Amino acid sequence: MSYGLKTDLVAEYAAWLTGFLPNDYYERYREYRWDIGLRRAHQNAAFEAGWLQPTWSPAHGGRSLGLAEAMEIRLEAAMRSAPKLPNVAGPGVAAPGIRQFGTAAQIDRLLVPLLRGDEWWALGMSEPEAGSDFAGLRTRAVRDGDMFRVKGRKIWTTQAHQSRWCTLYARTDPDAPKHRGISCLILDLESPGVTIEPIRMASISDETFCEVILDDVEIPADSLLGPVNGGWQVAMSSLNHERQMIWIMNWVEIQRGLSSVRDSQATHDDYASGEVFAELGSLLADAEALRATGYRALNNELAGRPSPEADILKLLGSQTLQRVWELSAAAAGPRSIDDTDLLFERQDALAATIYGGTSEIQRNIIAERLLGLPKG
Amino acid sequence: MDVGLNSGQLALRDSVRDVLRAECPPAIARQAMTDPDRWRTVWKTVVDLGWSELAVPTADRDSSFGRMDLTVVLEECGAALAPVPLLSSVGLAAGLLRLAGPAVDDVLAEIGSGVVAALAVHPPGHRLPAVPMTLQDGRVYGRAVAVPGLPRAELVVTLASSSEGPVAAVVRVGDGVTVHEAECTDPAQPVADVEVDAQPIAIVPVDLDSALATPLVAAAADLVGVAGAALERAIEYAKTRQQFGKPIGAFQGIKHALADNYVALQRARGLTYAAAARLDDPATSVAAGWNAAALAKAAAAEAAVGCGRTAVQVHGALAQTWEHDMHLYLRHAWQGASTLGDSRALYHAVGRRFAGSAA
Repeated sequence: MSYGLKTDLVAEYAAWLTGFLPNDYYERYREYRWDIGLRRAHQNAAFEAGWLQPTWSPAHGGRSLGLAEAMEIRLEAAMRSAPKLPNVAGPGVAAPGIRQFGTAAQIDRLLVPLLRGDEWWALGMSEPEAGSDFAGLRTRAVRDGDMFRVKGRKIWTTQAHQSRWCTLYARTDPDAPKHRGISCLILDLESPGVTIEPIRMASISDETFCEVILDDVEIPADSLLGPVNGGWQVAMSSLNHERQMIWIMNWVEIQRGLSSVRDSQATHDDYASGEVFAELGSLLADAEALRATGYRALNNELAGRPSPEADILKLLGSQTLQRVWELSAAAAGPRSIDDTDLLFERQDALAATIYGGTSEIQRNIIAERLLGLPKG
Repeated sequence: MDVGLNSGQLALRDSVRDVLRAECPPAIARQAMTDPDRWRTVWKTVVDLGWSELAVPTADRDSSFGRMDLTVVLEECGAALAPVPLLSSVGLAAGLLRLAGPAVDDVLAEIGSGVVAALAVHPPGHRLPAVPMTLQDGRVYGRAVAVPGLPRAELVVTLASSSEGPVAAVVRVGDGVTVHEAECTDPAQPVADVEVDAQPIAIVPVDLDSALATPLVAAAADLVGVAGAALERAIEYAKTRQQFGKPIGAFQGIKHALADNYVALQRARGLTYAAAARLDDPATSVAAGWNAAALAKAAAAEAAVGCGRTAVQVHGALAQTWEHDMHLYLRHAWQGASTLGDSRALYHAVGRRFAGSAA
């Protein structure tokens, strides 16, 4: 497959995006990045135009493109700083899960409002006692006639207070081994018994965490997503989809960070300027390695070969993102202190080694599944 | 342009790997450290199999070996610690001449047929490759240090300054070419300093960045091979060695170090394949080609030294012994890491170019 080649399709996408964006988008990106109205309009327009999920059918916001073409579109979107999805958990994680595991009725009712951004989604995974040990979750769902009764507590549930739906992971078989007793239920967050408490974030953020308390909530049995006690597969498959996207997001943020180092006055004028060059070169290598590895993994996937190298993308991308903003701060000198955009970038980058599976869990996955080392 | 290996390259990799597994276990590298002629039988196999012909690019792309094929073969030779001058002669010396045109056709044909050449591009006191020689009145003279494979070479390829800009020059080892051999980090791949005051057999003007790009990628491929092999050995040992009642690979202290090694390896391999693909693509600019090659070499050296060091740590006291293979990997990695620019110097050079480029 091509590598960084500009195809007609990419040109068509770029023209579409340019036509959508306000004329001063790039000059005023610092403001527009927080503009939820613009970001909502962009998602809806991308759905209409078939750029939202390029590999899916036109009915679901796509153009039935191949994986390689879709990656070119995603990279182009990232390079052009296309407005971020306001509720990335929806199209990024919930939608592929619904599409893969949902019943015809679920797909029919839920997918289009999700993809248009009319209904937002939260991921009900983490609990106070189940973070990295996701399979250790304690929220209970007990079958009662044609419904499940649910009791429990979810936490770090991003944007739950703004969402209509939640993919809720709950224990349906307490006697099975812990991975095999979990089910995924589609929870209407307007249901009686659901209490949502937003949690104040350490940084400026429009991805606010919530605590979700479930007190005897009734969920219709036909809201089960995937097989009963098959929630682990639903979660892994949904997160895997997310992991394939994350590196592209990381990659473009890294590019922005590298440019900020290059454009910093002190990089050129200060006597210590040369100090940043070696780290800058190393980060350029990381960024290029992410892209090359993403392409290699895709090539292998297209050829029907295993693509073990894909498992480094999350770990390498998130670590590089943190290093690049630390270098940016060093290169700015004391000017970094009153730069609240930089503060946001540094805080935001800290989340990257935590969400979607911490770096420690990523290392365990690499060591145990790829290198074949025994479980501890 | 492809960033990964195609099925032909995967088949080439497997056939090279099979030959080396059968004919060149790491014990051969250990023997070559003390027996100065041990490399010759392995080299004969390499030449008989046609691997040295990778030196010769031809106009017909379908039948020629691209840099990706060279990368595949060099990676396997690195993994096997094969004590042959394939990297130094075909990867580095012929690599520098790859774009030099018809003036060096005969030289490349000679190297392709198995005549060993060496690349002299380290002036004394330089970390990055540069121009060590001067061309004046039809003679090349000057001094270069740490020339890989020179003790086995019949030809020396070097860079010289001239009144008309830099040239690549080729001299024959003999009168006017003095080889100063000394002990080195990896005696299985001996290096030597060289003093030249001789009439070249070929001279051709070159652009330094584009001339050095292929040797940098070749060096990277060799080191990616070493990194992968050292990591494999460490993993094998971590699975079997028991302490506190379980395999040491079950402990996160070991597990995470090896996972980080794997990331470093794949980072380097991705950069190396991407750089080879870029250099094979005529649309690539000289600056982009050099950057890609320099980053690949820097990353590959980091991966090789990093994997080698972790592998020694994982093997514990065992790895401190002559009989154990681990020091062979690390010697090869350390020596390769200092050739054509250490990682920090290369990163620094790429970072400085990036910072100096227009926004």
